[in-house]
Amino acid sequence: MSDSALESVTPTPQPSFGGDVVIEANALTKAFSEEVIALQGASFQIKKGSFISLVGPSGCGKSTLLRLAAGLIDRTSGSIRVHGEEVNEPRTDIGMMFQKPTLLEWRTAVENVLLPNEIKGTIDDAARRRAIEALHLVGLKEFEFHFPRQLSGGMQQRVALARLLQTGADILLLDEPFGALDEFTRERLNIELMRIVDDTPTTSLFVTHNIAEAIFLADEVMVMTPRPGKLARIVDVPFERPRSLELQLTPEFNAIESEVRDLLGSYV
Amino acid sequence: MTTAPTVEQLAPTRTAKVLKASLKHIITFGLIIFVWEILGRTGQLNRLILPWPSLIGAQLLDLFFISGKIYFHFFTTLAEAVIGFFIGVSIGISLAVGAAFSPRFRRYIAPYAVVFNVTPGIAVAPMIIAWFGFGWSSKIALAALVCFFPPFVNTLTALMRTDEDATDLFRSLGASKREYFWKLQLPNAIPLIFAGLKLALTGALLGTIVAEFFSASAGVGILMQRFAFALQIDGSFATLLTMSAMGLMLFTLMEVLDYRLVFWKRDSRMDSVSKKRAARWRSRHGAIEVS
Repeated sequence: MSDSALESVTPTPQPSFGGDVVIEANALTKAFSEEVIALQGASFQIKKGSFISLVGPSGCGKSTLLRLAAGLIDRTSGSIRVHGEEVNEPRTDIGMMFQKPTLLEWRTAVENVLLPNEIKGTIDDAARRRAIEALHLVGLKEFEFHFPRQLSGGMQQRVALARLLQTGADILLLDEPFGALDEFTRERLNIELMRIVDDTPTTSLFVTHNIAEAIFLADEVMVMTPRPGKLARIVDVPFERPRSLELQLTPEFNAIESEVRDLLGSYV
Repeated sequence: MTTAPTVEQLAPTRTAKVLKASLKHIITFGLIIFVWEILGRTGQLNRLILPWPSLIGAQLLDLFFISGKIYFHFFTTLAEAVIGFFIGVSIGISLAVGAAFSPRFRRYIAPYAVVFNVTPGIAVAPMIIAWFGFGWSSKIALAALVCFFPPFVNTLTALMRTDEDATDLFRSLGASKREYFWKLQLPNAIPLIFAGLKLALTGALLGTIVAEFFSASAGVGILMQRFAFALQIDGSFATLLTMSAMGLMLFTLMEVLDYRLVFWKRDSRMDSVSKKRAARWRSRHGAIEVS
């Protein structure tokens, strides 16, 4: 590598294309204007098959980070690579889920789940069968032909989850997917989500406000701080899988929880 | 007869409730008509200013059943209004779709749209007559002009108000602009477009009738004018009621269409549509096991 002036100004760590790194960010920065810096200098690597939680208070750039990884917005500087490729446009091998179910109201549950196939032109009987199975997997047996408005908020989010699975994406970007649901529904859906992603070789990035939820689901917790949004630390969560809810009562879990809480410190 | 009362007779059914609710209105309406008629017959009203119900009724009877001359005028106006409606709505919606797709086009037409909206469309009626002549084309043109704006602005607003997350979803699925439009933007906009169409319908009728006032040999507008100029106010009232009936008829048609098409905004419709979709799926993909 030449030591050109440009490189000395922005010290870019050598990207390591270690076989199993799926998402890699180096000094990733997104500024919406001079004053509004949503994300500043984030560097991290996400390994294939891992589940990463992103925690931090509102306005710390969590959603911005997800949208950068999905290619929905352009970075200001730095780099973000998915499967070793710089992300410059929306990536179709990435599945997204939002806080709102974002279902098409005029389509039944199964028609919503089939949307990815329709758009990718892969609709056939096998896809239809998988859509029905996905709905059964998320616990919506007998609701295949209901319209979103006929379903509760939790069930709508289950349809969205089924649609996410239907994309067949191996990278899932989840932006507070259960944030608008009540505590019980949220806990149940978290467990189901974990069961589903444990069974598949997917890599997940999960944004949340909830520290316990972040730790419970993840292999690593990325802790972010706001104004400007910065990646403060990556906390390792070494618990074995499958995990059960009782894990949250163990002293080891509590130790990690207070560590994350300390990192967030005055921001929460 | 002394049969045991059925459940329906004991509990107030829905129809009974509806009947009871409409009874109040029927009684009120009947009372107004009755008092009005009495006032007329006792010489309290001037029949050149406010003719009473029986006089208006007699005119209606003549127009519809004795001379039957209303039909020609009725269908002339209806046809002109409906054609004007379709032309105005097509132009409005097409411009809105163009504006929604091209920010540059939107910026260019925005000021004209504002000026157009604040200018009373009816005011150009004399110019329309000058351009299109005294025949049916001037009526259609004014109808189209008056009803163009609501569908335009509603369609544009609705298309621009597409949910951001849904947009992100479509982008991350790799949807083309065409798919984005047909599968997300347009269906999402339909409820608001329909609201615009209902306003346009009233506009189309208004435009047609005003154009008829200026010059026409046929149409309810000219009929109204003939009656009024002859000081046959009872005939004018009968014509006015006919216009109301025409408006109501068209409006009901739109309501029915709206109700059938925009089923997802209506809780009462979703159940049956949901069942239909399930049946359709089973007949087409019966091999796929559904619970």
